[in-house]
Amino acid sequence: MLKITNLHAKVGEKAILKGLSLSVKAGEVHAIMGPNGSGKSTLSYILAGRPGYTVTEGTAEYEGKDLLAMEPEIRAREGVFLAFQYPVEIPGVSNKYFLKAAYNAMRKHRGEPEMDAGAFLKFVKEKAKSVEMDPAFLNRSVNEGFSGGEKKRNEVLQLAVLEPKLALLDETDSGLDIDALKVVAGGVNKMRDPKRAFVVVTHYQRLLDYIVPDFVHVLSGGRIIKSGGKELALELEKKGYGWIEDKVAA
Amino acid sequence: MIAEALAAQKEGWRYTPVAALTGPDFKPAGVPARLEPLGGRVLCPVGFHRAALVNGRWEAKHAVLKLPDGVTVEPLGEASGLAELLSRPAPADMPLAQAASAARDGFVVRVARHSRADRPIHLVHISEASPVAESSQARVLVVLEPGATAEIVEETLSFGDAPSWKNVRAQVVLGEGAFLRHHRIVREGAQGRLTLGLEVTLASRARYESHALNFGGLFAREDLRVRIEGEGAECALNGLALLGGSEFADHHSVVEHAAVGGTTRQLYKAVIDDKARFVFDGLITVKPGAQKTDAQVYNKNLLLSEDARVNTNPEFKILADDVSCKHGGAVGQMSLEALFYLQSRGIGADEARRLLVYAFGSEMVDRVALEPLKLALADALHGRMPEEHL
Repeated sequence: MLKITNLHAKVGEKAILKGLSLSVKAGEVHAIMGPNGSGKSTLSYILAGRPGYTVTEGTAEYEGKDLLAMEPEIRAREGVFLAFQYPVEIPGVSNKYFLKAAYNAMRKHRGEPEMDAGAFLKFVKEKAKSVEMDPAFLNRSVNEGFSGGEKKRNEVLQLAVLEPKLALLDETDSGLDIDALKVVAGGVNKMRDPKRAFVVVTHYQRLLDYIVPDFVHVLSGGRIIKSGGKELALELEKKGYGWIEDKVAA
Repeated sequence: MIAEALAAQKEGWRYTPVAALTGPDFKPAGVPARLEPLGGRVLCPVGFHRAALVNGRWEAKHAVLKLPDGVTVEPLGEASGLAELLSRPAPADMPLAQAASAARDGFVVRVARHSRADRPIHLVHISEASPVAESSQARVLVVLEPGATAEIVEETLSFGDAPSWKNVRAQVVLGEGAFLRHHRIVREGAQGRLTLGLEVTLASRARYESHALNFGGLFAREDLRVRIEGEGAECALNGLALLGGSEFADHHSVVEHAAVGGTTRQLYKAVIDDKARFVFDGLITVKPGAQKTDAQVYNKNLLLSEDARVNTNPEFKILADDVSCKHGGAVGQMSLEALFYLQSRGIGADEARRLLVYAFGSEMVDRVALEPLKLALADALHGRMPEEHL
């Protein structure tokens, strides 16, 4: 589904990714772990198409197409979803209007008729229930005044509504207490499907207790320096990132 | 004469391109050859009480007035008992309002003690198309006696390709405990110019709630003077200007707190695109002894193009010591973070931009309590969203 080959990228003049390769198949859950500044968030943003990054070398193919050549909204409509580490507040745009606009943009892209307001409201209320979100949040402005946990829950609600093929979760655990983490992880787990892939970017192993990955990759210095099964995450938790980095350097 | 008066103005006019007023050779507007219907041209739904000035003259055929007892809406020439108010001079620094004092026609709205206008009163100022540049002047008097309540929607419109200019002097007098909601909607044509001098006085516990919405016109200048004369009066000044092309809007207000315990909440927002320009000059003065005054003045601007310009100056002059006063001016551009967030959910770049502009402006439309008007304004706001070229 996703094939990243030798990806190099920079922000301004600063090289962040230095030859990253990763292959993700449908149905798989990949965790990308790494210390601060290793390039985890950069990778998520580049895949979602955020402006401000320059790819200097390498490719990213999504379902056989050049992902990096697509506008951000086209990537989304083709089924790529990024759950933000810091979801953006948009005063004046109601959550339900925002979700409906996004949902109908997908449907239109697929040649399906748009869903009307009444039918959508019913649909989105069901989805809100599934992520244990109070429907009152649908009438509030997008993320405005939401707590950290509510913002992350709102990201998972969007995930549930848009049903992407490839979901990128960027530090979804950051700022969450354990109860909120369980709810968010539960929402993600309900979405696991043989046709859907997840790439979970995280600093801590904690999230992976709840979203159990098939593969764990260690990102350091802009490259994946080690890959393994879920047990690698536990090892990292115990020993920290230093031992792998030292090993690679040696 | 007006041109000379304008030329003599310095303070408060330095950002105002007066050439829009002094350039064309304006002739006094005459009666149009034929009466154009209002239907389809005005924003307000039928069902409101209605009166109209066409080229500055009361047009009886446009009036729909089945008013309850205690409420009158009359042409200036027919109103009696207003000599004192009519002869009150306009402030010395409002030369255009002084000139408009000589207007022969206008609206007079009166609501008697403890009476209530059952439906909103829609006052239409319209400049009909003409082959030559034309100007008209008018006066507006609104008097609410103690305990009276009314909702007024003033709408100004102009048509045709030749320059037009409406110069209006308005006076609002609110008695003790009176409550007025005053909506002022500007929907001028591409050659429409509007200058308005508005003086408002509030007696004890009176409330004045204003919504100024500028949805088009080459040039609009408003000078507001609000004077809080009685204890515990409340003033809310809301404004939204959506400007594009080479449109210009200029808001000058002075709110004077001359009594104890008054409240002012002022928020003006402007969306400025293309080569348009917006000026905000909002002063709140607190007189000695006007203790417990609680006042806020804010201006927030969204610039959509590199050529768009704004001058903002919210300020206070405080001569009392026990007051709460806050002010702020902000000039910003479209949030790229928000734009990317919307795009990352599949919403196209153009739609995302329009959505963000709409969100910025809709706060002011949401403050309009009058439901049918709010819906019409939301539609008008949609109609003024930037084009896809952005």
